[in-house]
Amino acid sequence: MKTLNFIPIILLITFLSPNLSAQNNKDWFLLPDGLGLSNQLEYSYNIDNKVEIFENWLTLDYNKNIFSAGIRFEAFQPNDPDPSISRGKVRYADIAYKYFAVDVGDVEEGLNITAGNFYELFGRGMILKSYEDRNIRIDNNLLGVKVEGNYLGFSLTALSGSATNSNNDRKDILHAVDFSYGGFDIIKLGTTYASNQPEIDGIARTSLASFRIQPSYWNFDGYAEYGTKNNKDIQTNAFQNSESKIGEAFYGSLNFYYDAFSIVGEYKYYDNYAFTSSDGTIFYNTTPSLRKEYTYQLLNRHPSPLDQSNEEGYAVEVNYNFSDETSVVANYGITQTLPTSSYFQRVNNISLPIATQLKEVYLQATHSWNESFTTIAAFGYNEELSTNTKNFTPILENKFYFDDINTIKLVLEHQQTENLSTLEKYYDDVIAIEYLRSPNFNVSLVTEVQTKEPEEGKTIRKVWSFVQFGYKLGNHTDLSLLIGSRQAGNICIGGICRYEPAFQGVELKMLTRL
Amino acid sequence: MKFLLSVAFCFVITINLFAQNDEDLSGRKAPNFKLINLDGKYIELNKEVGKGPILISFWATWCKPCLEEMVEYNKLYSDYKDKGFTLLAISTDAEKTVAKVKPYIKSKNYTFPVLLDSNSEVARKYYAQQMPYTVLIDKNGNIVYSHLGYMKGDEKKVEKLIAELLEK
Repeated sequence: MKTLNFIPIILLITFLSPNLSAQNNKDWFLLPDGLGLSNQLEYSYNIDNKVEIFENWLTLDYNKNIFSAGIRFEAFQPNDPDPSISRGKVRYADIAYKYFAVDVGDVEEGLNITAGNFYELFGRGMILKSYEDRNIRIDNNLLGVKVEGNYLGFSLTALSGSATNSNNDRKDILHAVDFSYGGFDIIKLGTTYASNQPEIDGIARTSLASFRIQPSYWNFDGYAEYGTKNNKDIQTNAFQNSESKIGEAFYGSLNFYYDAFSIVGEYKYYDNYAFTSSDGTIFYNTTPSLRKEYTYQLLNRHPSPLDQSNEEGYAVEVNYNFSDETSVVANYGITQTLPTSSYFQRVNNISLPIATQLKEVYLQATHSWNESFTTIAAFGYNEELSTNTKNFTPILENKFYFDDINTIKLVLEHQQTENLSTLEKYYDDVIAIEYLRSPNFNVSLVTEVQTKEPEEGKTIRKVWSFVQFGYKLGNHTDLSLLIGSRQAGNICIGGICRYEPAFQGVELKMLTRL
Repeated sequence: MKFLLSVAFCFVITINLFAQNDEDLSGRKAPNFKLINLDGKYIELNKEVGKGPILISFWATWCKPCLEEMVEYNKLYSDYKDKGFTLLAISTDAEKTVAKVKPYIKSKNYTFPVLLDSNSEVARKYYAQQMPYTVLIDKNGNIVYSHLGYMKGDEKKVEKLIAELLEK
């Protein structure tokens, strides 16, 4: 508890600092031409288990004519104790990302070479999606060389690099090439090949290849990609060389829009298609998960993680705008596991029936009553296999703009949960009240109550509550301070989820960009 | 204890370094980029610079404040596009939601250019780690304003700055 004595001091100095510095000459801070800087600091102290986490990412970039270079210095001292988050960076302070790039030519005819760390996405991520998402603490950047060229509608990207595994070591090497042609108006074509070379000799490479088309005609747009996966060791051991591949995948989408109406249909089939390093801790690909991305808290409470090895399903989403004031969104999606004939089950020598991994329905209506008042009513239903729950979630959000810069927002969420394994039923309620004052300040109070009835007549209630302040310091710094407790839950982005345990304490975040 | 003191020290120094009042506009050169628009054609920033102010708005279909902000930016685009103002709405929708970008834009009848940054390469260059994120560039290609998040009323300041840049 001693530690907390410093928090008020930090806060006091924080809020005094902008006023002090505002008196200074405005020119002194200007960075040299071509230099850019960003710093993200996150600090939390959990009162319950006395766990302190400090994370900081400092990025510096320099651009001059055709050249650019940059570094990212990361400090995690101490890092999150969960090894799936810290991934070998328990007490870490070092340059984790550095690059040098040269970019010549233009969109018609050009060449870009990057040496050092880089990210890359081919198509819809079926074969390669190297990216960073700090919200879910994923960073599978590659260290190596990437060359991109484009000429008369043709584009070619070739790369060789190595990503860090769960021990923060770069061992396997990834080689990949992507070739596409976008010279036709009505169709675009592309193909990708990638291969993972294990560090240890004698282990077979895993290779993936795909072909994609992207037609576009009138008010229709489509996308289709088919890929295969190969590994000689598995072909020999699991199939005695009777199969030419060990996995396959297909993703397709079709859109139609007309006036104020639009519809998107997507289909997926991912059979043993996860592309990993030989130790299984680096995921190179992230296929489209076809799960609805929610911004409300309770709708993310029972998420369904993406399984690129064992999924088939589809999703449909319809948007219609009755007028500028009124719009509706309807979404339906279903994901199932694959049958016993799938590569996944045969490679793993298992025999499991098809099961519904996720079924979700989401409806949302938005209506602006006048210039000052807007209401959003939403309803979500899902059945989720990993938690084996059914969840009904009605939501009501009201926004009141009481002048040009002041807004009050009230969000009410209710979720009725039925656990299909234990037959337990319980419900959660969230109330969030937010005051926003443009452009600098916002404060929100969020309270969640969970009510369970383990025996008839006996009710157990748990309450979590926090207050969060957001403040802009000048034009370049955003500060956020959270005090209180919050329920355990998942942060999910693109079907990739990070579990956050229950928290009670103080959390401070600051983001600066220059 | 020493650790906390050092955290506090770093924090205070950082804030002092970067705190500025509203009139402190930075002059960082906007990094160039090449992105595909909804019709599959490449747009390069350097080819747009020089015509007038450029507003770059990083957004995503799953981000509610982004969609609110876009309504206001569409009004700015309608009011100022004939005077040399350019709006580039850069979607950071990744593989999961990128299929929804064009239908959404079409159903809203927005006519400003929308570019696809599916792996956030350009967002990283502009330090747009969270959405929505707005960057205003003058006709010389310098960043004169950036803003993270959206609250009703934020568009007033953006409009004021656009009008000022158009007068210069």
